[in-house]
Amino acid sequence: MTTTLRDPTGETASILRERVAPLQDFSGRTIALMDIGKMRGEEFIDRLEQLCSDRGISTRRYKKPTNTRVAPPDMIDDITGTCDAVIIALSDCGSCTSCSTHDLNDLDRNGLTGVSVLTEEFRNAFESQKSAIGLDAASVYVPHPMQNRTTEELHAFAEAALSQILAEICQDDLPQA
Amino acid sequence: MTPHELPKDGLTVFVKAECETCAMIAPVLDGLRKSGTETTIITQDDPSFPSGLSSVDDTALELSYRFDVEVVPTILRMRDGKEVARSFGWHRRDWEELTGQRDLGPGLPEARPGCGSRTREPGAWETLVARFGDSGIGARSIHLGEWDDEIEACFERGWSDGLPLVPPTDARILRMLEGTTRAPDEIIGDVPPNLTPISVEKAAINAVMAGCRPEYMPVVLTALEAALMPEATMHGVLCTTCFSSPILVVNGPITRKIGMNSGINCLGQGNRANATIGRALQLIIRNVGGGRPGELDRAVLGGPGKYTFCFAEDETDPTWTPLNVARGFTPGTNTVTLFQGDGIQGFIDQRSRTPRELIRSLARSLMAVGNWKLCEFTNALLVLVPEHYAIFREAGWDRDRILAELHAALRRPGTDVVQGAHGIGEGVSPDRRDELVDKFWPEGLLIVHAGGQAGLFSAICAGWTGGRFRHESKTVTREILS
Repeated sequence: MTTTLRDPTGETASILRERVAPLQDFSGRTIALMDIGKMRGEEFIDRLEQLCSDRGISTRRYKKPTNTRVAPPDMIDDITGTCDAVIIALSDCGSCTSCSTHDLNDLDRNGLTGVSVLTEEFRNAFESQKSAIGLDAASVYVPHPMQNRTTEELHAFAEAALSQILAEICQDDLPQA
Repeated sequence: MTPHELPKDGLTVFVKAECETCAMIAPVLDGLRKSGTETTIITQDDPSFPSGLSSVDDTALELSYRFDVEVVPTILRMRDGKEVARSFGWHRRDWEELTGQRDLGPGLPEARPGCGSRTREPGAWETLVARFGDSGIGARSIHLGEWDDEIEACFERGWSDGLPLVPPTDARILRMLEGTTRAPDEIIGDVPPNLTPISVEKAAINAVMAGCRPEYMPVVLTALEAALMPEATMHGVLCTTCFSSPILVVNGPITRKIGMNSGINCLGQGNRANATIGRALQLIIRNVGGGRPGELDRAVLGGPGKYTFCFAEDETDPTWTPLNVARGFTPGTNTVTLFQGDGIQGFIDQRSRTPRELIRSLARSLMAVGNWKLCEFTNALLVLVPEHYAIFREAGWDRDRILAELHAALRRPGTDVVQGAHGIGEGVSPDRRDELVDKFWPEGLLIVHAGGQAGLFSAICAGWTGGRFRHESKTVTREILS
């Protein structure tokens, strides 16, 4: 049975906690690319990594042991200690949506701005999870399904979503490739 | 099963197996069934009771709640889906009239009272209202996920002072609201720093989270009203870079009634009322007002009193004038006094035998409040323990005499306390060099009698620096109403 609580605040703001503000710019910053460990996500992130590199944005790759659990604490600590923002990709199922939103929350609490990339089908699941966690988390969506796509199609998803993804973690205009 | 699923016409009887009267009338129910009268039997505890009569399982108590059953057995006559008659307990004449049958239960006594409905067990009603009814609570609902931990969810949303909170569920909020006669939607005032209006309901939600019992509500609401009085300067107290927080001193018989501590360790841990009333006020400031550390609460160090600082005065010694009486209230009045102050500075004196010795000793320690050389700058609250007070009492000194002697002992030549004197930059204005300077304004030193019976250890709570604006920031006392 689920529990319903009542809001003890003045209700002048969202019931969700405000997320860490996006970076001012990418200069001297390192962006964590967190692969949630779901099949095919790696190909999407490969392209994202290349696109960032083309634009002079420094990145650091991470891969969770499994998409069905939250990231190991050591990984969260490492990202927190070495990176300035995080992009988490690519969730296309319920458990990976839930776990990756918790990862986003854990990193936000550590002061990192971040965004989660999911497939369209999990828009509602993400909204529900962020509401349960209480974080006004950022998300970007790519088409669903993604498991039956070619590598080229996944790369195209990354190219199409790039500007939106970077805009969620940095206020500056997207650097040119 | 919901009420509209019950037969629209006929008899409906609520029973429970553990009720002896219900067990006694089981043959009557059997007889009604056999007579062909549509009879629905609804059991609150054991669905197999009464044996062989295939009763409706109402262990969840939804039907009992919706029909507002107070006693079992309760018999209803339904017509066209509406209740047209009701009787409770066993009264043969009533049952015969209601069922239209004669000679019911020929071997039974004429009458026998029933038992309490399970819906009326302690704590049940509010839970059932929350589950099946309209709680009337206006605050936003926050739905947790199936696997979410309620206490972690409260932390996640930033509601906590750092300690676990009691999750504010509807049943708990309804129980808390039972502690006051005030309407849930009554607005008490605007809570700083965001000056957000607060209702009684919102105060109750925070009181739940703080761990209060419903009977603390009048004290919590009065503490809140005191904090919102302009002269209490709560806005400044919560935003200050200083250590300060509201220190709540509660007087009157309510302190005994709700079990507040005015004795051993009364400034410490271990008493629920002391701990949670002060905490409720702080949570209201945090959650409703938006006063969170690092945002608008800018305390450079803060202090443990910012979790909670609330205690009762010991009023058992008839020679002592309680704080609220000294501040103009009739003896026996329930009040909350709010002093804007810091944590405690211990005053140790195990050698003084006479009141004059003790006054000199106390004065030396009181001079350290804020800074030894600052005068008429901060107020102070002296918590005088019984063994120290006994030295005064035995000499015939009352509150007024103690205060007057302290003020006199706290008066120093300006040359001693002006800026630069003794090679210390801090101090009073150089133009007071030729004056005699008081450490505190006449109203700036408060004394409260509290603590265990053994121990020559009183306490001094320094006042907030905002107290230097003597006409703007004042200690406030408010009567506790219902």
